[in-house]
Amino acid sequence: MFKKILIANRGEIALRVIRACRDLEIESVAVFSEADRNSLHVILADEDHYIGPAPSKESYLNVDKIIEVCKKSKVDAVHPGYGFLSENEDFCAKLKAAGITFIGPSPECIALMGDKIQAKKTMQAAGVPTVPGSAGRVKDAAEAVVVAKQVGYPILIKAASGGGGKGMRLVTKESELESAFRSAQNEARNFFADDTVYIERYIQAPKHIEIQVFGDTHGNVVHLYDRECSIQRRHQKIIEESPSPSVPENVRKQMGDIAVKAARAIGYFSAGTFEFILDNVSKEFFFMEMNTRLQVEHPITEMVCGVDLVQEQIFVAAGKKLSWKQENIQQKGHAIEARICAEDPVTFAPNPGLIRRCRHPQGPFIRIDSYAYPDYEVPIHYDPMVAKLIAWGNTREDAIRRLSRALDEFTLSGIKTNIPLHKSILEQPKFLDGSYTTQFIEKDFGDLKDIFSRVDDRVFLLSAAIEAYNYHKDRGSWKANEAPSRWAISGRNRTLRTTEF
Amino acid sequence: MNFQAKLKGKEYFISVTEDLRTWNVTLQEKGKATEVHEILKENFKRMDQAISFLFENSSYMIDVVGQGTQYTVYTRGSYREIPLFNDESLLHESLKGGGSVGAAGSLKAGMPGKISDVFVKVGQKVDAGQPLLIMEAMKMENEMKASHACVVKEIRFKKGDSVESGAVLISFEDPK
Repeated sequence: MFKKILIANRGEIALRVIRACRDLEIESVAVFSEADRNSLHVILADEDHYIGPAPSKESYLNVDKIIEVCKKSKVDAVHPGYGFLSENEDFCAKLKAAGITFIGPSPECIALMGDKIQAKKTMQAAGVPTVPGSAGRVKDAAEAVVVAKQVGYPILIKAASGGGGKGMRLVTKESELESAFRSAQNEARNFFADDTVYIERYIQAPKHIEIQVFGDTHGNVVHLYDRECSIQRRHQKIIEESPSPSVPENVRKQMGDIAVKAARAIGYFSAGTFEFILDNVSKEFFFMEMNTRLQVEHPITEMVCGVDLVQEQIFVAAGKKLSWKQENIQQKGHAIEARICAEDPVTFAPNPGLIRRCRHPQGPFIRIDSYAYPDYEVPIHYDPMVAKLIAWGNTREDAIRRLSRALDEFTLSGIKTNIPLHKSILEQPKFLDGSYTTQFIEKDFGDLKDIFSRVDDRVFLLSAAIEAYNYHKDRGSWKANEAPSRWAISGRNRTLRTTEF
Repeated sequence: MNFQAKLKGKEYFISVTEDLRTWNVTLQEKGKATEVHEILKENFKRMDQAISFLFENSSYMIDVVGQGTQYTVYTRGSYREIPLFNDESLLHESLKGGGSVGAAGSLKAGMPGKISDVFVKVGQKVDAGQPLLIMEAMKMENEMKASHACVVKEIRFKKGDSVESGAVLISFEDPK
């Protein structure tokens, strides 16, 4: 077993790995950039090494520097976390050459799945469904009828040189096809001087569903069920849940079986995730991509399956056999994760800065993976996510209520966070009935500004006024206890009311 | 002490007085009736750092961050940013804004970040909507544009500098 592990990451995931090391009585080595001397992973690790200036390129992505630290500190293995070097086959290969174990899959698997076209081909060969479509150009309407039949309705006719919806037609039945095909072709010719069109299945009410897989170096592979990650802003996930409220039991089993088969086909070991797009009308699912690393949202799987995925990654990297057999893994209850980001909840603009007060929620079945603490300054150089709040419940309703309660208890003052947005999402009908899609935030949410209609405004105004009073009183700039006469107040108000500010 | 506050585009007049046991706060939204709140100090209690506020029998754990004229109040998974001017600061503001409000002004950093590119030079005339600089914060690039036609008077940083929130980046003057 390893004695010493270096964590080539920062933030909450570095803490997650440090804790897994501690639980196994393995020494943890942290690396940090100039901007991270005060970060919690540096404070909590057993050993720390400075690796360079704040920009990621010069520190957390600096392969040679990190390998140099590995050698100097004599570590047995490296955990890459997610992001940064976690899917970098060059880093992986260089570690191998230096005799250091990479806690993750083989460099071959990383390279294969990193090439999106190659990945899709490999998956098709392994019998994994991908979004059906024409093999290339569709010449005329007659051919379109044949292709559309194979692809299955509804279909999209798309211009090969297209963009911005031009030369694109949605066709739901064969009787509409011929005229739609002609007009798409004409539009393509007029706009792009190229009438090449192709046909693809149109995904109705698309949902992002993924399957967690895990393999060892002895050829064993299992899946740990599904996660739904359709709530996204700027194409990044912000709420994830397991199990998905939209996947029927038989489809879930089918997805799991296919993912295991596919992982086996490429000789996959360690933690990996197959991402699918689910048509929530037809309940068909299609492969999108595979992530060859631990995911941000791995805790919800840990909560429902009762497993420690990081610990298992360490075991597998050390050459052990998987601790679980497929039949022992059960999805129990429901877990939801909210990603707490330092950002404006309405515009999604990052809002790094000094955290003043920080109080994490407590109570049963609440898990917080956070690197926030009072007076910590969130650096501007990295991801805005500062914490993950995870709630478990016997039922989905229980988990939602518990998460909502915990969000109320979560205080991060001094910076803006998306906590108010999370609170509102948990009250939306389409979230509550589980019918939400990947377009939820853009299309179904309504006016984002409404998130500030929760909680009585007067509470904020009264509190601000009393605190402002205390501020001015402490500065001695105001004779606090001398209440002015009503005449004086009235006179003053009259002169001041015209002022714009 | 009297304040003017702004929240969600509405203006409020607030007056605060205290005695030994009570905060007396009158709250009036512009054009509406005045509400008088007698808040026992017992019910607006500073704990370690937060404030426990019992308001109309509801319990709120409050955090107030801010000083001077800008306050952000956090509670129950929500927050509000509230500008609060007292008589003195209002007078100060009205004196400052007393002159003509021309195109002169400055561009301030809305958040801490790094300046990754600058497109203008001192003395250059810029049109409304013309990009001035790119600021990078947390893996996102934000292009800052001129809100109206003006002339660049001073640039207070160089490419690659990190800047604090609220820092003046560029000052402008009216085009001649």
